[in-house]
Order: sequence, then structure tokens, then C-alpha cells
Amino acid sequence: MANNDINILKVLEAKNFQIQPGKLGTVAIQAGGGKHRDALKALLEVDEKTAVTAITGIDLGDNIGVYYHVRTSNAFATIQCEVPKDKPTLATITDLVPGAAFHELEVTDLLGVVFVGHPSPGRFVLPDTWPEGVYPLRKDFKPSEIKFNPPSTEDVSLSDDRGLVKIVIGPHHPALLEPEKFAVLVDGETVKNVEPRIGYVHRGVEKAAESKTYLQGVYLVERICGICNSCHATAFVEAVEKILKTEVPPRAKYIRTIILELNRLHSHLLTLGHAGLEIGYETLFQYFWRDREPIMDLTEMVTGNRVISSSLTVGGVRRDIKETDIPKIKATLAALRKKIPFYKQMYENEPSLKMRMQKVGTLSREDALKLCVVGPVARGSGVDIDVRKDEPYEAYGEIPFKEIVYTAGDTWARMNVRMDEVEESINIIEYALDHLPGGAYRVKVPRVVPPGEAVNRVEAPRGELFYYVKSNGTAFPERVKVRTPTFANIPAFLKTAIGENIADVPPNFVSLDPCFSCTDR
Amino acid sequence: MIDYLWLVFRVLVFPGFTFLLFLTMFCDWIERKIEARMQNRMGPSFTGPSGILQPLADFIKLLTKEEITPNDSRKYIFRFAPLFAFSVLVFALCFLPIDGTSVIPDASFGGDLIFVMALISVANFLLFLSGWSSSNPYSSIGAARVLTQFLGYDIPLFLLALAPAFLAGSLTIATIVDSQWIPFVVLAPWAFVLFIITMQAELEKDPFDIPHAESEVVAGHETEYSGGKLAFLKFARDVQIVFGSSLITVLFLGGANGPVFFGLQALWGTLWFVLKVVVIIIISEYMTVLFARLRIDQIVKANWKFMLPLSVLSLLLTIGLAVWVYPMV
Repeated sequence: MANNDINILKVLEAKNFQIQPGKLGTVAIQAGGGKHRDALKALLEVDEKTAVTAITGIDLGDNIGVYYHVRTSNAFATIQCEVPKDKPTLATITDLVPGAAFHELEVTDLLGVVFVGHPSPGRFVLPDTWPEGVYPLRKDFKPSEIKFNPPSTEDVSLSDDRGLVKIVIGPHHPALLEPEKFAVLVDGETVKNVEPRIGYVHRGVEKAAESKTYLQGVYLVERICGICNSCHATAFVEAVEKILKTEVPPRAKYIRTIILELNRLHSHLLTLGHAGLEIGYETLFQYFWRDREPIMDLTEMVTGNRVISSSLTVGGVRRDIKETDIPKIKATLAALRKKIPFYKQMYENEPSLKMRMQKVGTLSREDALKLCVVGPVARGSGVDIDVRKDEPYEAYGEIPFKEIVYTAGDTWARMNVRMDEVEESINIIEYALDHLPGGAYRVKVPRVVPPGEAVNRVEAPRGELFYYVKSNGTAFPERVKVRTPTFANIPAFLKTAIGENIADVPPNFVSLDPCFSCTDR
Repeated sequence: MIDYLWLVFRVLVFPGFTFLLFLTMFCDWIERKIEARMQNRMGPSFTGPSGILQPLADFIKLLTKEEITPNDSRKYIFRFAPLFAFSVLVFALCFLPIDGTSVIPDASFGGDLIFVMALISVANFLLFLSGWSSSNPYSSIGAARVLTQFLGYDIPLFLLALAPAFLAGSLTIATIVDSQWIPFVVLAPWAFVLFIITMQAELEKDPFDIPHAESEVVAGHETEYSGGKLAFLKFARDVQIVFGSSLITVLFLGGANGPVFFGLQALWGTLWFVLKVVVIIIISEYMTVLFARLRIDQIVKANWKFMLPLSVLSLLLTIGLAVWVYPMV
């Protein structure tokens, strides 16, 4: 459904909300005193694709600011409210938007805002031994004064009172490459319930970013995720550029686009292969990873680094693409393009693969909208959201490409979205190389950023990546908020796993392309 | 006296225990190498020429590792199940005529095919016990899967093994082999194909690799095992694969039958036997590499809906041919 003609500004004005157009996305809505729910309701009524992207908590001195970042089909709004620090309570929005549950838990953990009516309150990001009443993202937090509670010595029960067996997947498990825990309650082979627990590798990047200069911050946020590192760098750098009001030269935009698409290529090839491993199809895994290798080499050739590219900087890129490298890049991509039909055929026609992936983890379009999922997970369920199309950044506005949407909503559809996007990525890189503008590839920018705040969204391989950056006029940011795509996609897994076979858990889970290094930050 | 020494030599050295040990390791190496080459990998390459000693090195390495027995486990079953599984399988192999006669001479008796098939079930049940006794949720689920799978697939396996028996008119393995002047794969190719697929399920290889699905249940029934016990569990599995391939060789490919050019008939027989086993292993490995692992409910459904009716049909067809058509030719 095309909702491009809805003008949320008019809708909000008609309902007498206090709005500031152009601030923090399309519009910022001042909604203190419990009016945040009304504002959200107003947006939900006019646009079915309204979803909560993130909830930012920020220490404003005497108050704590809670910003609800809401995306609609053609706009991005921020609902701002403030709660007093000594009594930080706010009504939950999980009844309106179930997908906001994790975001609220995170704000509770890190800033101590209590959301009244949250369905499952409790520790989510911080360890269980973390003391009560200490909130790391508040400005008065002193790391040296933390006294951890002793760890619980209770025996963990492996079955519940109904006699169902609890299978703990993680923190160490062959199906998961990163530490996270899902306690799966099974009846025979059928999953009855899944309890998630993340935070095993929480590194406090958001807090650390407050003590680094903006330039250092670029390298810090790149390390949030090894696979989509350039996406994190782009999202952060663009937010800072928005505050600085810097215009990046066109050549830099194109080079950034190329690096971002190389990132997407190798990330998608990785997942497509990894899915093979999860369903016991080792051959598929070995083949995909073999063909991913040349893309890694290309990344090294273009940026100088194989994994963490470190090639973006505020005001442009740090390294130009050499004219002599362009034919080499094109040759490698052409070789990969030749192999695509074979892989596509594997995913579309291989009977044993289809038996394991079709009708597994089916997420309906309604649930996808309610749970606010992003990226290939949303596009596999027929929700056509892609930041590259909706709010073009870098050179995406000038490059023609298709937005891949499948409607089946199952694991198979999500993997096929990625399969088709691999081909689109090759097209985008080739187009960008053909139309690479000349000129400078970076501009000089001041080290000290003027006061201001900005939100920014980037389409990472796993979906919409969100950054909020606030500057206080010094060389250090006041607050950096990161919402990674996996964080938004986990609810989809929790919803779809229930009632399915335990053997469906790994393929279903890997179809989200989970990245827990991202999620934990 | 010399007879006894000869018996001891046959049981312990050739074609008995030692030979079977090395045959198993050789087959393991072939399996790994083929799988690796088909997946664009190198496979074992460093230990010995082309890594041929890698299975031996792995076995010795595991024997030197620390053994841990979980507190909650049923200690005796946990300890002895892998050993028994291993010995039962080696014992079953002794009934197959590897060099023309079975390992213990004159051990062959009327109906020993049924006895040998029963030994596979016993071995599978021991593997189930090894998982069940470890009292670990992953092991329990893996063990339950072993049981579900082999209970289902044992029936078609028995029915299909009857096809060569009918063609030979005997349930004695030695007679079945002797009557294959034309290998039964030519006379009953449908039974051969179905038997290989069922054997794949019985041996828990892809696409029937469910009890070992590492992304779901870690290592299945092997999860709590370590050190020497794990070595024997792994080795039992390798022997099982050799045994399965040998059984197919005996029932459908004419066992050790083959041309003898010069010298001892027993040596040529062994050579043909090993070559045929290797061919079967290559076919089975080919299937492993080509398919994804199926789900337990899909496997059970495939068994009762397809394999069982098909094996009954195959048996009827074989009986019909054996009684009315082949005698006339």
C-alpha cells in the first residue's frame, strides 16, 4: 500500500501537538505529561507502517529525556518527553507497539526510567549481579564505585513444573557464533516458550563514545560490529555531518556507497552460507564462503583493510579509489555474478533445502509491522521498507536499483531476499564505478562540533541501523545512541519459534542474520 | 595345534580385528577426503601421505585426553555402552565373508543373516543407552532421536535384506554370496537403491543425520563423552559405516567374488571386497554432501509413508521374479 501522500505534519497540527518541523528527522513532537501515547496513537491511526525505531534515553541534568523515534512510510518523527530524575516513571507503549518492549527494557537498565505496565520487566542488558539504583548512562555515574552483588548460587532448574524440558541454547552453543542465551522450553520436540537474555558481551560503547572525540568515535563505533563496520561508521559520520552542516563531495559519496555495498555483499554471502551450516548442508556453506573470499580481498584493495575498513571519516573518505583498481574490481564482480544463477537455483529448487526452510518461522505482514522488524526480515514478510529507497543517503538517490520484497514471510523468503540483494549490490557497485565523479574525496572539517543533535538512519545488511548523536559544543559528544538491526529483529524470532519443532530453531534464527556483537554494543 | 594358531591369527590379525581396525580407518580417511574434495576443501593432508594416518592420529589423541564422567550419569551404562557398541559391531563384521569365508571359519550357520541384522539393532540400542545414561538434555534428545530413527528404519531394512535372500533361496550369508555369479544388484536394482537409502538412515548420515544435528542438540548422544570413551563411540560409528557398506557388498555386489589372476584366492577376494566397500562408501558420501539435513518428523513420515510401502513392493516384485521369471532364463 502506498502511503506516500500522507503528510504527518498536517495530521499532527490538526490534533494540536506542539511540533518542530525539521528537527530530529522530519519532525520533533513535544509530548510531555503522558501525551507521548496520544502522539503515537495519532501516527498509528493514519499510517499502518508506523513503527518505533528506537527509544533514546538521555540525561538532561535534572530530568531524563526519553525520545521515541518513530518511522512512518514516508517520514521520521521523534516524540520527545522528559521525566524528573527523582521519580522517572512513564506509561509504557508496548500495548500500542509490541515491538517497543526491548527498547523500553534497555532504557530501564541503562537510565532507570520505569515504564509502568511493561509486560516483562527485568534485567536485560546489564548482568544479574549489577547493583540496584546504579544507572551507567547517567552523567553522575562513577564506574569506580560499583559494588557488584554476589552471583546467585541457586541451582538452575532444567525443567519446569509441567515437566517440560528446558534446553539452553547458549551462551556457548554450536549453533550460535556469539554469546547470547535462549532458554527454550520444549515438550518432546516442540518449542513451548523462548526466554531471551542478551548482554553477555556488552561493552558500553555508547558510554565510551562520550569520552572520545568525534574522530576517535568513528573508529570506536566501527568496532561495534565487524561485519557491517562501514555501516556503523557511515551512520555516525553522517549524523555528525548533519550537526556540522557539512556537504560531502560527490566523489566521497560514491566511494562510501561502494564500500557500503561491498559490506552488504560479504555479509549476505556469509549468512547465505551460514544458513546451510545450520540445516546440515555443509557443502552450501563451503561454496558460499569460498566465493565470499574475493569480496574480502576487494574490500582490502579499496580500503586497505580486510575486515574493519576504517576508511570513512567526518567530511569524506580517507582513501581514494585508484583508477587502475577499477577494472580489477569489475572483473571480480563479474566472476561473482556468473555464479549467482547457480546459487539462486540452489535456494529456489533444492528439495531438501526447501523442506527445511519453507513454512519455517513464518512471520505474517501484520506481525512484522507490529513487532517493528527491519531489513530483510521485514522485506521477506512483504513490508517494503528500505532506508536506501525511503530516505536516500550517500549516492543511493542517484543509483537505480530494485527493492526486493517477498511475501511468504518464512525463512526461505528471508534468505531469498538476501540472495536477490546480492545481485542488486553487484549492480549498484558497477553503476557507481561507471559514474564515479571526479574531484576531492574529502573536505576539512573543524574538530569542535557546534551544539546540536541529529538522528540518522542507514540500511545495514541486517536492516535499518539508527544513530542519535547529541553535541554539547565541545570536542566530545554528549550522547551517542545506537540501535542495531538485530536488536529490532529478535522479537520476530521469539514470536515465530513457539509451536515449531526444535530442529526449526537454528534455521529460523539464522534467517534473522543475528549479530550479537551489534545487539550488545 | 596349528589349527588353533590359525584360528587366533584369523580372529586377531587377518581378516579379523587388526585388519578391520585398519580397514575402518582407511574408510574413514576416504570418507573425509572425498567429502572435503567435493566441498572445495583439502581434507586431511599432513599426517602420512595425503593425510591417510589422520584417523589413527585422531584416535590416539582422543585416548590420551582426560575422561570425565558426569555425576548424575548412570556410571556403568555410561562407561560400557560405547565399548559394547564397538564390540558388537566388530563381532557382526566377523560373520561377513571378507576373504571368501567368514572370519571364524565354519561359523556360518543357517539364518545368520537375521542374526547379523539383529546385531545392528543391538548396537543402535547401545548407542541410545549411551546418550540416555548421560542425563543431559542434549544427550536425551539425541538419544530419543536415535531410537525414533532406527526403530522406524529397521523394518524396511529387514524387508529389503530379504530380497537377496529370496533370490539366493537361503538366509545364510555364505550361500547368498556363493549364488551371486551375477551380482544381485543386476537382478534386483530397485532393492539395491532402496537398501542404500535405508542404510543411510540407519547409519545416521546426511540427509538423515538428525541425532547428531550439531546446530540443534550439540553432539547428540555423544555430548557428555570425552577421552577414551568418546574415541570408542566415534570408532563404533566408523565401524558401523564399514559394516553397513560391507553388508551391502555382501548382499548385492557379490562380496569377495571376483576374478583371481594369480596367487592366493583369499588376497584377491579381500581386494575385491575392499574395493566394493569403497565404492559403496563413495556413493553414500555423495548423498551426504548433496543434501541438507531433514527434520525428525519429515524422516519419520518419509519412513512410514514411502520407505515401508516401497520395500514391501520391492519384496513382492523380487519374490515374483525369483519364483517365476529368473528360473526360466
